[in-house]
Amino acid sequence: MKTIHLNKKVPVALIMTAAIAATLGLGGCAANEAAGNSPTTDAATTGGTSLSGTLNAGGATSQTAAQEAWRAGFQNANPNVTVNYDATGSGTGKQNFSQGGYLVAGTDVPYTAAEASGAFASCATGSTLVEVPVYISPIAVAFHLTGIDALNLDSSTIADIFTGQIQTWDDPAIAALNPGVTLPSTTITPVHRSDSSGTTENFTDYLAQTAPSAWPYPAAQSWPSDLAGEAAQGTQGVRETLSATTGAIGYLDASQASDLGQASIKVGSSWVAYSAQAAAAAVEASSMDAGRASTDLVIDLDRTLTDPTTYPLVLVSYMVACSQYADPNDGALANAYLSHIVSSSAQQAAAQNAGSAPLSQTLAARDASVVGAIK
Amino acid sequence: MSHISARPASLPPISLPRRVTAHVAHLLILGLFLIALAPLASLVVTVVSRGWSRLDPTFFTSSMRGVVGAGGGALHAIVGTLLITLAAVVISAPIGIAAAVYLVEYGRGALARALTFLVDVMTGIPSIVAGLFAYAVLSALLGPGARSGLAGALALSVLMVPVVVRSSEEMLRLVPSDLREAALALGSPVYRTILRVVLPTAAPGLVSGVMLGMCRIVGETAPLLLVAGFTDSMNYDLADGRMATLPVFIYSQWQNAGRDHVAYENRAWTAALVLIAMVFAMNLAARLWSSRKVR
Repeated sequence: MKTIHLNKKVPVALIMTAAIAATLGLGGCAANEAAGNSPTTDAATTGGTSLSGTLNAGGATSQTAAQEAWRAGFQNANPNVTVNYDATGSGTGKQNFSQGGYLVAGTDVPYTAAEASGAFASCATGSTLVEVPVYISPIAVAFHLTGIDALNLDSSTIADIFTGQIQTWDDPAIAALNPGVTLPSTTITPVHRSDSSGTTENFTDYLAQTAPSAWPYPAAQSWPSDLAGEAAQGTQGVRETLSATTGAIGYLDASQASDLGQASIKVGSSWVAYSAQAAAAAVEASSMDAGRASTDLVIDLDRTLTDPTTYPLVLVSYMVACSQYADPNDGALANAYLSHIVSSSAQQAAAQNAGSAPLSQTLAARDASVVGAIK
Repeated sequence: MSHISARPASLPPISLPRRVTAHVAHLLILGLFLIALAPLASLVVTVVSRGWSRLDPTFFTSSMRGVVGAGGGALHAIVGTLLITLAAVVISAPIGIAAAVYLVEYGRGALARALTFLVDVMTGIPSIVAGLFAYAVLSALLGPGARSGLAGALALSVLMVPVVVRSSEEMLRLVPSDLREAALALGSPVYRTILRVVLPTAAPGLVSGVMLGMCRIVGETAPLLLVAGFTDSMNYDLADGRMATLPVFIYSQWQNAGRDHVAYENRAWTAALVLIAMVFAMNLAARLWSSRKVR
């Protein structure tokens, strides 16, 4: 039998080998990667980092663009470390972290206090769960109307639009909030996420907290199934649907909303457009979730803030880790990577690439003290 | 219109209604052919025009490691696709050809019927199911969250084996029985007849069958997304760690665009162009191969 296979596969194998050889001959190794793995020389040239290994992480899709910036910065500083981040969604990320598949995970939905005291596969015995807010992103209520770039919409009006109580853009309820704006009679097409999403949860949480009478649904990652409207897959899907549909309104990560009309929301008695500073201020003004370990920095977001310097329609995403890992090298990697993430340069890089709001100094200092103790 | 005019002059002329019907049918079929061609033409035009902007040397010499926003390339994904496809061929070609030899040369009765039935069923397996199979194997062996290029190749083999069996079976059946009978009459045992006569005769067809199987799997996304994962960095080791591939590269660039989303979309289009070019080259090679050696 051996002869058959040799006979038959030689041509294919030859072609493939030739193709690979051609590719490798062209690049050898990727031009942007350090040639070969020579820890000593690399460490010497980049300031003596002794870290090496692979850090597999994954979870919240919201963090993807920020993780890209963080990964790039971290890997450039530590050429012998490879960091991977799978954008699998918060639920899968947490599940893989619990079972030891990921060393650290990103999640929009933190573990409950009860879950946090459970066992995690990568952690040493006696370790507590580390959860730190690392990614703050304002959620924009964006719309597509010819000639109108900004509107004022309070939460009960937004709720009425998404529940179908308000059908057209020239509805008196919208006109009353926007004196001086000529509204078209276009039908409103509400656009929501078809997939389960932290953005949806924060948006519905905002509506449920600020307009409970107009929005009878609880905060949830999935859009209420009995509501009509256009469903779109992922943030990109929402952005494309909004761009393509005149009269559409949707909610999405503010960084992706720059080509669209944006609504200012009502905070206290003022109208507030989203901004990175106002989003970070809203997180800082909210209190910590009580009853958790000192390493578990979960924030109980207050959507009903009245301070006009805050923008409470905001998404906070966390990194999850162990305070002590079973393998010390894992601990060193997690410590270094998370410390990099909460550093001000990394937060600025994420703001550039993902349009997130950098952590305020208070939050960053609190995070840094927790992640710096990971071992 | 040659089929109408190429009529012997001795026959009586065709009646007008029949000529009209013939012309109408001809135009209708031409129109339907053009409609069938339109999506393909549109696809080629779109991919080439949108993928053109990033078709530069950097795209083929860089990975995405350390790249934020614009720039970077897909060398890691190109290498990953080649390695995983090669590994899938190494796994499936022997299995597929051996199964086809069994069916054609030895298989009689219930076992052969069962094998044919299973191959038919496997042809229809959705790729995500193949991915879940490999994922289950991988999780059971290496724990949750494990990813490797080899597991990706395993998942792709599940999809590729039935294609190889089917095409190889056809090719082996085309080998004239006279050749087999002649070899057997000379006293050659069955195994030697297969090795020395049947397989060499069918070789060009077998090779092109394997190549078509490769074309079938090289663009698969779902199983690779599950088990091979994605990384920014080069990885030449099939057995260890995530490995980027072109389809997953396209998906992740599209899905996870940063603020400067045009740069990500351009990379995705260029990767699509490269992938289509690879499939086209493989198809062409398969055709050249089978036509060159036809006896």
